[in-house]
Amino acid sequence: MSGHPTRPEDFDLYALGVLEGEEKAAIESHVPTCAECANKLAEARGRIALLAFSAPRVEPPAAVRERLMRQVHASAESAGARRSTDEPQRAGGFFGRRWAAILVPVGVALAIATIFLWTENARLSRELARQRANLEEQKKQLDEARHLADLLEAKDTVSVALAVQPGMPKGDLRVRYNAKMGMAVCDGWVEPAPANKSYQLWVVPMEGKPVSAGVIDHGGPIHPWMMKLPQGMAAKAFAVTLEPVGGMPQPTGPMVLVGPVS
Amino acid sequence: MRASDAALIQKIVQRDESALAALYDRYASLLSSLLNRILRDTQASEEILQDVFYQLWRNAAQFDPARGSLPGWLAVIARNRAISRLRRHNPSEGEELLETTVIVPANLENALAQQQLLGRVKGALENLSSEQRAAIELAYFEGLTHSEIASKTGDPLGTVKTRIRSAVESLKRNLLS
Repeated sequence: MSGHPTRPEDFDLYALGVLEGEEKAAIESHVPTCAECANKLAEARGRIALLAFSAPRVEPPAAVRERLMRQVHASAESAGARRSTDEPQRAGGFFGRRWAAILVPVGVALAIATIFLWTENARLSRELARQRANLEEQKKQLDEARHLADLLEAKDTVSVALAVQPGMPKGDLRVRYNAKMGMAVCDGWVEPAPANKSYQLWVVPMEGKPVSAGVIDHGGPIHPWMMKLPQGMAAKAFAVTLEPVGGMPQPTGPMVLVGPVS
Repeated sequence: MRASDAALIQKIVQRDESALAALYDRYASLLSSLLNRILRDTQASEEILQDVFYQLWRNAAQFDPARGSLPGWLAVIARNRAISRLRRHNPSEGEELLETTVIVPANLENALAQQQLLGRVKGALENLSSEQRAAIELAYFEGLTHSEIASKTGDPLGTVKTRIRSAVESLKRNLLS
Protein backbone atom coordinates (compact mmCIF):
# COMPACT_ATOMS: atom_id res chain seq x y z
CA MET A 1 0.00 0.00 0.00
CA SER A 2 1.40 3.41 -0.91
CA GLY A 3 1.15 6.60 1.23
CA HIS A 4 -1.12 9.64 0.90
CA PRO A 5 -0.52 11.70 -2.24
CA THR A 6 1.83 14.51 -1.25
CA ARG A 7 0.12 17.32 -3.13
CA PRO A 8 -3.61 18.05 -2.77
CA GLU A 9 -3.95 18.81 -6.50
CA ASP A 10 -3.03 15.20 -7.31
CA PHE A 11 -6.68 14.24 -6.71
CA ASP A 12 -7.89 16.90 -9.16
CA LEU A 13 -5.31 15.79 -11.72
CA TYR A 14 -6.47 12.19 -11.32
CA ALA A 15 -10.13 13.24 -11.67
CA LEU A 16 -9.21 15.24 -14.76
CA GLY A 17 -7.65 12.07 -16.21
CA VAL A 18 -4.22 13.49 -17.02
CA LEU A 19 -2.15 11.30 -14.70
CA GLU A 20 -0.52 8.19 -16.12
CA GLY A 21 2.06 5.61 -15.16
CA GLU A 22 3.37 5.63 -11.61
CA GLU A 23 1.44 8.76 -10.57
CA LYS A 24 -1.89 7.26 -11.60
CA ALA A 25 -1.13 3.85 -10.11
CA ALA A 26 -0.13 5.43 -6.78
CA ILE A 27 -3.59 7.01 -6.38
CA GLU A 28 -5.43 3.92 -7.59
CA SER A 29 -3.67 1.65 -5.14
CA HIS A 30 -3.98 4.04 -2.18
CA VAL A 31 -7.51 5.45 -2.39
CA PRO A 32 -9.41 2.15 -1.85
CA THR A 33 -7.53 1.74 1.45
CA CYS A 34 -7.99 5.27 2.83
CA ALA A 35 -11.36 6.86 3.60
CA GLU A 36 -9.84 10.34 3.97
CA CYS A 37 -8.29 10.24 0.50
CA ALA A 38 -11.43 8.64 -1.00
CA ASN A 39 -13.34 11.68 0.28
CA LYS A 40 -10.75 14.08 -1.16
CA LEU A 41 -11.02 12.31 -4.51
CA ALA A 42 -14.84 12.59 -4.41
CA GLU A 43 -14.49 16.34 -3.80
CA ALA A 44 -11.96 16.65 -6.62
CA ARG A 45 -14.33 14.77 -8.96
CA GLY A 46 -17.04 17.25 -8.02
CA ARG A 47 -14.84 20.26 -8.80
CA ILE A 48 -13.72 18.81 -12.12
CA ALA A 49 -17.31 17.82 -13.00
CA LEU A 50 -18.20 21.52 -12.85
CA LEU A 51 -16.23 22.01 -16.07
CA ALA A 52 -19.23 20.41 -17.79
CA PHE A 53 -20.93 23.79 -17.33
CA SER A 54 -18.44 25.41 -19.70
CA ALA A 55 -19.72 23.39 -22.68
CA PRO A 56 -21.86 25.38 -25.15
CA ARG A 57 -25.52 24.72 -24.39
CA VAL A 58 -27.17 22.05 -26.56
CA GLU A 59 -30.77 21.14 -25.71
CA PRO A 60 -31.55 17.47 -26.36
CA PRO A 61 -34.43 16.80 -28.76
CA ALA A 62 -37.74 15.71 -27.21
CA ALA A 63 -37.37 12.36 -29.00
CA VAL A 64 -34.61 11.28 -26.59
CA ARG A 65 -36.89 11.76 -23.60
CA GLU A 66 -39.65 9.84 -25.35
CA ARG A 67 -37.33 6.94 -26.21
CA LEU A 68 -36.00 6.84 -22.65
CA MET A 69 -39.49 6.74 -21.13
CA ARG A 70 -40.57 4.01 -23.58
CA GLN A 71 -37.50 1.98 -22.64
CA VAL A 72 -38.17 2.47 -18.92
CA HIS A 73 -41.85 1.60 -19.29
CA ALA A 74 -41.03 -1.56 -21.27
CA SER A 75 -38.50 -2.69 -18.66
CA ALA A 76 -40.99 -2.03 -15.83
CA GLU A 77 -43.66 -4.06 -17.65
CA SER A 78 -41.36 -7.02 -18.33
CA ALA A 79 -40.22 -6.98 -14.66
CA GLY A 80 -43.90 -7.01 -13.62
CA ALA A 81 -44.57 -9.95 -15.95
CA ARG A 82 -41.61 -11.86 -14.47
CA ARG A 83 -42.91 -11.22 -10.95
CA SER A 84 -46.41 -12.48 -11.80
CA THR A 85 -45.13 -15.72 -13.38
CA ASP A 86 -42.91 -16.26 -10.33
CA GLU A 87 -45.80 -15.95 -7.83
CA PRO A 88 -47.36 -19.45 -8.20
CA GLN A 89 -43.97 -21.05 -7.78
CA ARG A 90 -43.24 -19.08 -4.63
CA ALA A 91 -46.59 -20.14 -3.20
CA GLY A 92 -45.99 -23.75 -4.19
CA GLY A 93 -46.89 -25.43 -0.87
CA PHE A 94 -44.82 -28.14 0.81
CA PHE A 95 -42.61 -29.03 -2.19
CA GLY A 96 -42.00 -25.36 -2.93
CA ARG A 97 -40.96 -24.72 0.66
CA ARG A 98 -38.72 -27.82 0.70
CA TRP A 99 -36.95 -26.73 -2.49
CA ALA A 100 -36.64 -23.26 -1.02
CA ALA A 101 -35.03 -24.72 2.12
CA ILE A 102 -32.37 -26.33 -0.09
CA LEU A 103 -31.97 -23.66 -2.74
CA VAL A 104 -31.87 -20.55 -0.53
CA PRO A 105 -28.69 -21.61 1.39
CA VAL A 106 -27.11 -22.74 -1.89
CA GLY A 107 -27.99 -19.39 -3.44
CA VAL A 108 -26.56 -17.49 -0.47
CA ALA A 109 -23.34 -19.55 -0.62
CA LEU A 110 -23.06 -18.89 -4.36
CA ALA A 111 -23.64 -15.18 -3.83
CA ILE A 112 -20.90 -15.06 -1.15
CA ALA A 113 -18.50 -16.97 -3.42
CA THR A 114 -19.32 -14.61 -6.31
CA ILE A 115 -18.70 -11.52 -4.19
CA PHE A 116 -15.40 -12.99 -2.97
CA LEU A 117 -14.26 -13.83 -6.52
CA TRP A 118 -15.38 -10.47 -7.85
CA THR A 119 -13.43 -8.65 -5.10
CA GLU A 120 -10.35 -10.79 -5.69
CA ASN A 121 -10.61 -10.21 -9.43
CA ALA A 122 -10.86 -6.43 -8.92
CA ARG A 123 -7.80 -6.53 -6.63
CA LEU A 124 -5.77 -8.52 -9.16
CA SER A 125 -6.84 -6.20 -11.99
CA ARG A 126 -5.66 -3.18 -10.00
CA GLU A 127 -2.34 -4.88 -9.23
CA LEU A 128 -1.88 -5.76 -12.91
CA ALA A 129 -2.65 -2.17 -13.95
CA ARG A 130 -0.09 -0.92 -11.41
CA GLN A 131 2.60 -3.30 -12.69
CA ARG A 132 1.88 -2.32 -16.31
CA ALA A 133 2.12 1.36 -15.37
CA ASN A 134 5.46 0.71 -13.62
CA LEU A 135 6.77 -1.02 -16.70
CA GLU A 136 5.67 1.81 -19.00
CA GLU A 137 7.27 4.38 -16.71
CA GLN A 138 10.56 2.46 -16.60
CA LYS A 139 10.55 2.14 -20.39
CA LYS A 140 10.00 5.89 -20.71
CA GLN A 141 12.85 6.62 -18.29
CA LEU A 142 15.13 4.22 -20.16
CA ASP A 143 14.33 5.92 -23.50
CA GLU A 144 15.10 9.33 -21.97
CA ALA A 145 18.38 8.03 -20.53
CA ARG A 146 19.34 6.62 -23.97
CA HIS A 147 18.58 9.94 -25.66
CA LEU A 148 20.59 11.76 -23.01
CA ALA A 149 23.58 9.41 -23.46
CA ASP A 150 23.43 9.79 -27.27
CA LEU A 151 23.34 13.58 -26.93
CA LEU A 152 26.24 13.76 -24.49
CA GLU A 153 28.42 11.34 -26.48
CA ALA A 154 27.84 12.96 -29.88
CA LYS A 155 30.93 14.82 -31.14
CA ASP A 156 28.90 17.68 -32.59
CA THR A 157 27.10 18.49 -29.30
CA VAL A 158 28.00 22.00 -28.13
CA SER A 159 27.95 23.33 -24.58
CA VAL A 160 26.27 26.69 -23.98
CA ALA A 161 26.88 28.44 -20.63
CA LEU A 162 24.03 30.78 -19.69
CA ALA A 163 25.30 34.05 -18.18
CA VAL A 164 23.41 35.78 -15.36
CA GLN A 165 22.14 39.22 -16.35
CA PRO A 166 22.92 42.21 -14.08
CA GLY A 167 20.58 42.57 -11.08
CA MET A 168 18.91 39.21 -11.69
CA PRO A 169 18.72 36.13 -9.39
CA LYS A 170 21.94 34.14 -9.44
CA GLY A 171 22.27 30.83 -11.20
CA ASP A 172 24.57 28.54 -13.11
CA LEU A 173 22.87 26.83 -16.03
CA ARG A 174 24.41 24.99 -18.93
CA VAL A 175 22.73 23.69 -22.09
CA ARG A 176 24.23 20.88 -24.16
CA TYR A 177 22.79 21.25 -27.66
CA ASN A 178 22.95 19.08 -30.74
CA ALA A 179 21.55 20.79 -33.82
CA LYS A 180 21.55 17.62 -35.95
CA MET A 181 19.57 15.65 -33.36
CA GLY A 182 17.31 18.64 -32.66
CA MET A 183 17.76 18.05 -28.95
CA ALA A 184 19.19 19.87 -25.95
CA VAL A 185 19.56 19.17 -22.27
CA CYS A 186 19.81 21.80 -19.55
CA ASP A 187 21.13 21.39 -16.01
CA GLY A 188 22.60 23.43 -13.16
CA TRP A 189 20.88 25.54 -10.52
CA VAL A 190 19.12 28.84 -10.13
CA GLU A 191 18.06 30.87 -7.06
CA PRO A 192 14.41 30.43 -5.98
CA ALA A 193 12.03 32.45 -8.14
CA PRO A 194 10.26 35.46 -6.53
CA ALA A 195 6.70 34.92 -5.25
CA ASN A 196 4.10 34.27 -7.98
CA LYS A 197 6.80 33.90 -10.63
CA SER A 198 8.30 30.96 -12.50
CA TYR A 199 11.43 30.70 -14.59
CA GLN A 200 10.78 29.87 -18.22
CA LEU A 201 13.42 28.44 -20.52
CA TRP A 202 13.42 29.56 -24.17
CA VAL A 203 15.03 28.42 -27.38
CA VAL A 204 15.86 31.49 -29.50
CA PRO A 205 15.81 30.25 -33.11
CA MET A 206 17.86 31.62 -36.01
CA GLU A 207 14.61 32.89 -37.47
CA GLY A 208 11.28 33.64 -35.84
CA LYS A 209 10.05 34.05 -32.30
CA PRO A 210 11.45 32.30 -29.18
CA VAL A 211 9.92 28.91 -28.41
CA SER A 212 9.18 27.81 -24.84
CA ALA A 213 11.27 24.85 -23.72
CA GLY A 214 9.61 24.50 -20.34
CA VAL A 215 8.74 26.16 -17.07
CA ILE A 216 10.96 25.77 -14.01
CA ASP A 217 8.65 26.14 -11.02
CA HIS A 218 10.64 27.29 -8.04
CA GLY A 219 14.36 27.31 -8.82
CA GLY A 220 16.97 25.26 -6.94
CA PRO A 221 18.93 22.47 -8.62
CA ILE A 222 17.78 21.73 -12.17
CA HIS A 223 18.15 18.05 -12.98
CA PRO A 224 18.89 17.20 -16.62
CA TRP A 225 15.97 18.74 -18.51
CA MET A 226 15.51 17.29 -21.99
CA MET A 227 14.24 19.52 -24.77
CA LYS A 228 13.16 18.41 -28.19
CA LEU A 229 13.27 21.30 -30.64
CA PRO A 230 10.57 21.65 -33.30
CA GLN A 231 11.63 19.93 -36.53
CA GLY A 232 14.00 21.98 -38.68
CA MET A 233 14.61 24.62 -36.00
CA ALA A 234 18.21 25.68 -35.35
CA ALA A 235 18.93 27.49 -32.07
CA LYS A 236 20.77 30.81 -31.98
CA ALA A 237 20.69 31.09 -28.19
CA PHE A 238 19.07 29.76 -25.03
CA ALA A 239 17.58 32.07 -22.43
CA VAL A 240 15.67 32.08 -19.14
CA THR A 241 13.11 34.75 -18.24
CA LEU A 242 10.90 35.41 -15.20
CA GLU A 243 7.23 34.91 -16.06
CA PRO A 244 3.88 34.57 -14.26
CA VAL A 245 3.40 31.14 -12.65
CA GLY A 246 2.63 28.55 -15.35
CA GLY A 247 4.60 30.34 -18.09
CA MET A 248 3.63 32.44 -21.09
CA PRO A 249 3.40 31.73 -24.83
CA GLN A 250 6.05 34.39 -25.51
CA PRO A 251 8.61 36.03 -23.16
CA THR A 252 7.15 38.98 -21.28
CA GLY A 253 9.39 39.24 -18.20
CA PRO A 254 13.01 40.22 -17.62
CA MET A 255 15.87 38.12 -18.98
CA VAL A 256 17.60 36.27 -16.13
CA LEU A 257 20.16 34.15 -17.99
CA VAL A 258 21.19 33.98 -21.62
CA GLY A 259 23.80 32.12 -23.64
CA PRO A 260 24.49 32.28 -27.41
CA VAL A 261 25.20 29.10 -29.37
CA SER A 262 28.72 29.55 -30.64
CA MET B 1 -43.23 22.11 -4.04
CA ARG B 2 -40.22 20.99 -6.02
CA ALA B 3 -38.94 17.56 -4.95
CA SER B 4 -35.26 17.19 -4.06
CA ASP B 5 -32.95 14.88 -5.98
CA ALA B 6 -32.84 12.54 -2.99
CA ALA B 7 -36.64 12.31 -2.88
CA LEU B 8 -36.82 11.63 -6.61
CA ILE B 9 -34.14 8.93 -6.35
CA GLN B 10 -36.19 7.30 -3.59
CA LYS B 11 -39.24 7.31 -5.88
CA ILE B 12 -37.22 5.79 -8.73
CA VAL B 13 -36.21 2.97 -6.39
CA GLN B 14 -39.96 2.41 -5.92
CA ARG B 15 -40.26 2.29 -9.76
CA ASP B 16 -41.90 5.71 -10.22
CA GLU B 17 -41.32 6.61 -13.88
CA SER B 18 -42.41 10.24 -13.40
CA ALA B 19 -39.53 10.73 -10.92
CA LEU B 20 -37.04 9.71 -13.60
CA ALA B 21 -38.72 12.09 -16.05
CA ALA B 22 -38.37 14.91 -13.49
CA LEU B 23 -34.65 14.24 -13.04
CA TYR B 24 -34.23 14.03 -16.81
CA ASP B 25 -35.86 17.46 -17.19
CA ARG B 26 -33.54 18.82 -14.51
CA TYR B 27 -30.21 17.58 -15.88
CA ALA B 28 -30.57 16.43 -19.51
CA SER B 29 -29.60 19.82 -20.88
CA LEU B 30 -26.34 19.89 -18.87
CA LEU B 31 -25.41 16.36 -19.99
CA SER B 32 -26.44 16.94 -23.59
CA SER B 33 -24.18 20.01 -23.78
CA LEU B 34 -21.27 18.08 -22.27
CA LEU B 35 -21.74 15.07 -24.57
CA ASN B 36 -22.03 17.14 -27.72
CA ARG B 37 -18.91 19.11 -26.77
CA ILE B 38 -16.91 15.90 -26.28
CA LEU B 39 -18.24 13.81 -29.16
CA ARG B 40 -19.29 16.45 -31.70
CA ASP B 41 -21.73 13.79 -32.89
CA THR B 42 -25.43 14.36 -32.24
CA GLN B 43 -26.51 10.74 -32.64
CA ALA B 44 -23.79 9.33 -30.36
CA SER B 45 -24.53 12.05 -27.78
CA GLU B 46 -28.24 11.19 -27.75
CA GLU B 47 -27.49 7.47 -27.34
CA ILE B 48 -25.25 8.08 -24.34
CA LEU B 49 -27.68 10.58 -22.82
CA GLN B 50 -30.47 8.00 -22.94
CA ASP B 51 -28.14 5.29 -21.68
CA VAL B 52 -26.96 7.30 -18.65
CA PHE B 53 -30.54 7.97 -17.50
CA TYR B 54 -31.53 4.36 -18.15
CA GLN B 55 -28.60 3.30 -15.94
CA LEU B 56 -29.95 5.65 -13.26
CA TRP B 57 -33.33 3.93 -13.57
CA ARG B 58 -31.83 0.47 -13.17
CA ASN B 59 -29.29 1.26 -10.45
CA ALA B 60 -30.92 4.04 -8.45
CA ALA B 61 -30.90 1.87 -5.31
CA GLN B 62 -27.11 1.83 -5.41
CA PHE B 63 -26.84 5.60 -5.53
CA ASP B 64 -26.71 7.13 -2.04
CA PRO B 65 -27.57 10.88 -2.23
CA ALA B 66 -26.04 11.34 1.23
CA ARG B 67 -22.65 10.37 -0.18
CA GLY B 68 -22.60 12.51 -3.26
CA SER B 69 -24.23 14.82 -5.75
CA LEU B 70 -26.48 13.37 -8.44
CA PRO B 71 -25.65 15.93 -11.18
CA GLY B 72 -21.95 15.52 -10.40
CA TRP B 73 -22.27 11.75 -10.66
CA LEU B 74 -24.27 11.99 -13.89
CA ALA B 75 -21.66 14.36 -15.39
CA VAL B 76 -18.82 12.01 -14.42
CA ILE B 77 -20.59 8.97 -15.89
CA ALA B 78 -21.55 10.84 -19.09
CA ARG B 79 -18.01 12.15 -19.57
CA ASN B 80 -16.48 8.69 -18.94
CA ARG B 81 -18.82 7.10 -21.47
CA ALA B 82 -18.18 9.77 -24.10
CA ILE B 83 -14.40 9.62 -23.68
CA SER B 84 -14.58 5.82 -23.82
CA ARG B 85 -16.57 6.08 -27.04
CA LEU B 86 -13.89 8.36 -28.48
CA ARG B 87 -11.24 5.84 -27.45
CA ARG B 88 -13.24 2.72 -28.27
CA HIS B 89 -13.06 1.39 -24.72
CA ASN B 90 -16.03 0.06 -22.75
CA PRO B 91 -15.97 0.64 -18.99
CA SER B 92 -18.12 -1.77 -17.00
CA GLU B 93 -21.17 -0.42 -15.19
CA GLY B 94 -19.99 -1.89 -11.89
CA GLU B 95 -16.69 -0.05 -12.22
CA GLU B 96 -18.58 3.22 -12.71
CA LEU B 97 -20.96 2.75 -9.80
CA LEU B 98 -18.25 1.85 -7.33
CA GLU B 99 -15.73 4.45 -8.30
CA THR B 100 -17.70 7.58 -8.75
CA THR B 101 -18.77 9.12 -5.51
CA VAL B 102 -18.83 12.78 -6.46
CA ILE B 103 -19.13 15.69 -4.03
CA VAL B 104 -20.00 18.94 -5.79
CA PRO B 105 -19.33 22.18 -3.86
CA ALA B 106 -22.76 23.59 -4.74
CA ASN B 107 -26.41 22.61 -4.85
CA LEU B 108 -27.45 22.30 -8.49
CA GLU B 109 -31.06 21.25 -8.05
CA ASN B 110 -32.61 24.35 -9.56
CA ALA B 111 -32.06 26.29 -12.76
CA LEU B 112 -31.03 29.47 -10.91
CA ALA B 113 -28.27 27.64 -9.00
CA GLN B 114 -27.08 26.11 -12.28
CA GLN B 115 -27.05 29.54 -13.91
CA GLN B 116 -25.04 31.04 -11.05
CA LEU B 117 -22.57 28.19 -11.16
CA LEU B 118 -22.20 28.58 -14.91
CA GLY B 119 -21.06 32.17 -14.27
CA ARG B 120 -18.53 31.04 -11.67
CA VAL B 121 -17.10 28.30 -13.89
CA LYS B 122 -16.78 30.68 -16.84
CA GLY B 123 -15.11 33.28 -14.60
CA ALA B 124 -12.67 30.68 -13.24
CA LEU B 125 -11.76 29.59 -16.79
CA GLU B 126 -11.32 33.19 -17.94
CA ASN B 127 -8.77 33.68 -15.15
CA LEU B 128 -6.52 31.08 -16.79
CA SER B 129 -3.98 31.92 -19.47
CA SER B 130 -5.01 30.80 -22.97
CA GLU B 131 -2.46 27.98 -22.84
CA GLN B 132 -3.69 26.77 -19.46
CA ARG B 133 -7.29 26.87 -20.68
CA ALA B 134 -6.43 24.97 -23.85
CA ALA B 135 -4.61 22.29 -21.83
CA ILE B 136 -7.55 21.88 -19.42
CA GLU B 137 -9.95 21.59 -22.35
CA LEU B 138 -7.80 18.95 -24.06
CA ALA B 139 -7.80 16.98 -20.81
CA TYR B 140 -11.45 17.37 -19.88
CA PHE B 141 -13.19 17.32 -23.25
CA GLU B 142 -10.81 15.09 -25.21
CA GLY B 143 -9.67 12.86 -22.37
CA LEU B 144 -5.96 13.35 -23.08
CA THR B 145 -3.23 12.59 -20.53
CA HIS B 146 -0.19 14.76 -19.78
CA SER B 147 2.00 13.06 -22.37
CA GLU B 148 -0.75 13.00 -25.02
CA ILE B 149 -1.27 16.74 -24.55
CA ALA B 150 2.51 17.33 -24.82
CA SER B 151 2.61 15.29 -27.99
CA LYS B 152 -0.43 17.07 -29.49
CA THR B 153 0.75 20.60 -28.69
CA GLY B 154 4.48 20.01 -29.21
CA ASP B 155 5.19 21.47 -25.75
CA PRO B 156 7.68 19.75 -23.41
CA LEU B 157 6.07 17.31 -20.98
CA GLY B 158 7.37 19.25 -17.94
CA THR B 159 5.76 22.44 -19.22
CA VAL B 160 2.44 20.70 -19.78
CA LYS B 161 2.49 19.21 -16.28
CA THR B 162 3.31 22.56 -14.64
CA ARG B 163 0.73 24.36 -16.77
CA ILE B 164 -2.07 21.94 -15.86
CA ARG B 165 -1.14 21.81 -12.18
CA SER B 166 -1.18 25.59 -11.86
CA ALA B 167 -4.44 25.75 -13.85
CA VAL B 168 -6.04 23.21 -11.52
CA GLU B 169 -4.82 25.17 -8.46
CA SER B 170 -6.32 28.34 -9.91
CA LEU B 171 -9.64 26.65 -10.76
CA LYS B 172 -9.83 25.19 -7.27
CA ARG B 173 -9.25 28.60 -5.67
CA ASN B 174 -11.77 30.37 -7.86
CA LEU B 175 -14.47 27.72 -7.75
CA LEU B 176 -14.35 27.47 -3.97
CA SER B 177 -14.11 31.22 -3.29
